[in-house]
Amino acid sequence: MRWFSLLRVNLQKEYIELVRYLPNTIATVFTFYIIFLGMFLGIQVVGDPSTQELNTQYVIVNNLFWFLTMSTINKVGWQVTNESMRGTLEQLSMSPMGIWRIMTARLIASTVINFIILIVLLYLSMFTTGQWLNIDLLSILPILLITLVSMYGLGFIIAGISMVLKQVDAFLQILQFILAGLAFVPVTVAPIISYFPFVKGLDLVRSVMIHGVTLSQISVTDYGILIGNAIIYFVLGIAFFMFCERIAMKRGLLAHY
Amino acid sequence: MSKENIVEVQNVSKTYKKRRQKEFVQAVNNISFDVKKGEILGLLGPNGAGKTSTIKMICGLLIPDEGTILINGRDNQKNRLETLRDISAVLEGNRNLYWRLTVRENLEYFAGNRGMDKKGVAQTIDELLVQFRLRDKENELVNRLSRGMQQKLAIAVAMMADSQVLLLDEPTLGLDVETGYEVRELLKEIVNNQERTIIISSHDMAVVEDLCDRVIIINHGRIVTDDHVDNLLRLFAVRSYTITLGQLLSDQQLQLIKKAFPHLEYIPDTTQAIIKVDFDQDHEIYDLFELLKMNKTPVESIEQGTINFEQVFMRIIKGEEAHALV
Ligand SMILES: Nc1ncnc2c1ncn2[C@@H]1O[C@H](COP(=O)(O)OP(=O)(O)OP(=O)(O)O)[C@@H](O)[C@H]1O
Ligand SMILES: [Mg+2]
Repeated sequence: MRWFSLLRVNLQKEYIELVRYLPNTIATVFTFYIIFLGMFLGIQVVGDPSTQELNTQYVIVNNLFWFLTMSTINKVGWQVTNESMRGTLEQLSMSPMGIWRIMTARLIASTVINFIILIVLLYLSMFTTGQWLNIDLLSILPILLITLVSMYGLGFIIAGISMVLKQVDAFLQILQFILAGLAFVPVTVAPIISYFPFVKGLDLVRSVMIHGVTLSQISVTDYGILIGNAIIYFVLGIAFFMFCERIAMKRGLLAHY
Repeated sequence: MSKENIVEVQNVSKTYKKRRQKEFVQAVNNISFDVKKGEILGLLGPNGAGKTSTIKMICGLLIPDEGTILINGRDNQKNRLETLRDISAVLEGNRNLYWRLTVRENLEYFAGNRGMDKKGVAQTIDELLVQFRLRDKENELVNRLSRGMQQKLAIAVAMMADSQVLLLDEPTLGLDVETGYEVRELLKEIVNNQERTIIISSHDMAVVEDLCDRVIIINHGRIVTDDHVDNLLRLFAVRSYTITLGQLLSDQQLQLIKKAFPHLEYIPDTTQAIIKVDFDQDHEIYDLFELLKMNKTPVESIEQGTINFEQVFMRIIKGEEAHALV
């Protein structure tokens, strides 16, 4: 019940801001669309014609995932920074629910609301390129949900760092590119990145959307990595966040106004 | 400890390390005090005295280096989330609101994040909007509100938690005289109609004089005075005298008197003179009369000075009286 209250108000806030600041929302969609167009044209001009279609499909999915990570992981970093300057972070920290629960609710709310943008972007990309991907929701959603859990874990790590670090702006700028790297670099190039949060999930979603793979065709190892990834990063993320929260409370960093 | 105590601050100290420098700032130095249920306590002190740090430690936002803080008998470090149920606060400034949300949305958002459900909260919000005269602004974005209204909303947000203890850090800071007065009146209403325990930190003497039963004066992280407001006023009023003399003092006389009373203020006029003086000890007034009589100076009138809280505060901070009070 109390969890539900958290989720409700955070969904409400995300939604209000999405609608009330519609120009901002549209600008975000536009930015990611322009970046996508740039990559799409790049493939047309310099790409190998035999793999053009496949590359385009990869770029569609990768770009969406980049957007998804930016709107959860990167966003939570900016939120923590801004709210510690505003003083609202302190106000939230006084909630008997505990700040980590509020953060979890926020991350969930953020993804739910941003899904609207994600779907708009997906169809916009598919329409522009004429590449219609395999939208097999029954296969995509379970993978995506588990992937999100590991994304939230990373979100917690970023939120923790943002709380403790003072010059966090530069760090968050760099993070954008790290996230882009994780979203765009193929797993085949560097298999190790499968163990990074959300990369395995992204790879599996690509298999479904591009190669038409279904859940039953995915190997146990892949599931293992996917689920292990989610559990480890989420637990690690929350533990790290709480550790940072303690440091912040020791040094008086919950507010730097 | 007494059952009545709702907040117990026990030997609490806090030192900050300045970023990048090897410098340390001791903000709070071994402070102890109790707050009784329903008490309105003022925390007074000059800039950097340690008021905000003390308040944040009570709110569980800052971990003390030493000492413990009990809320309803429970350690607020060991049982942080449980003790937070009994606490709400408005911290320094009036910016702890979401500027992109409306007045009502802010109230709803903070309530939800405390785990309060929508139905239970709606009525409380309506009542608060009326009480804080924000009803006609409920759908206004916070960044369009005046500073005073933002401050009122911040207080309303803290009130909504319906906690037993309410902490207000500088509730009138940065407000103009009129708005400051309005907020003060509002707080008076809250103080008079509620059973809450309230801790208010302020530079604004009027706030403390108007609202508080008891005042703790902090300077350099230490408690200088802990007493009832009435007591402090009485104590200082009794000791403060204005004496009008029928003739001027000679330089020699003045020197003699100044030697005995170094802080005495001598204001000569054409034929008369006024002496303003505070006495540490009751017998000192007799010493002064002794000196005046010796020199055959006629005393025309003696007035016991009226003193406001600001003067009491200044004197305590200057340390002139501290030793006599603690
Ligand atoms: N997060 C922090 N890091 C380092 N030093 C701090 C921090 N917060 C406060 N201080 C220092 O600790 C001392 C006490 O500060 P505090 O804010 O508690 O005082 P205050 O009585 O509230 O002052 P004011 O009237 O200015 O609000 C000050 O010297 C201040 O500079
Ligand atoms: Mg302060």
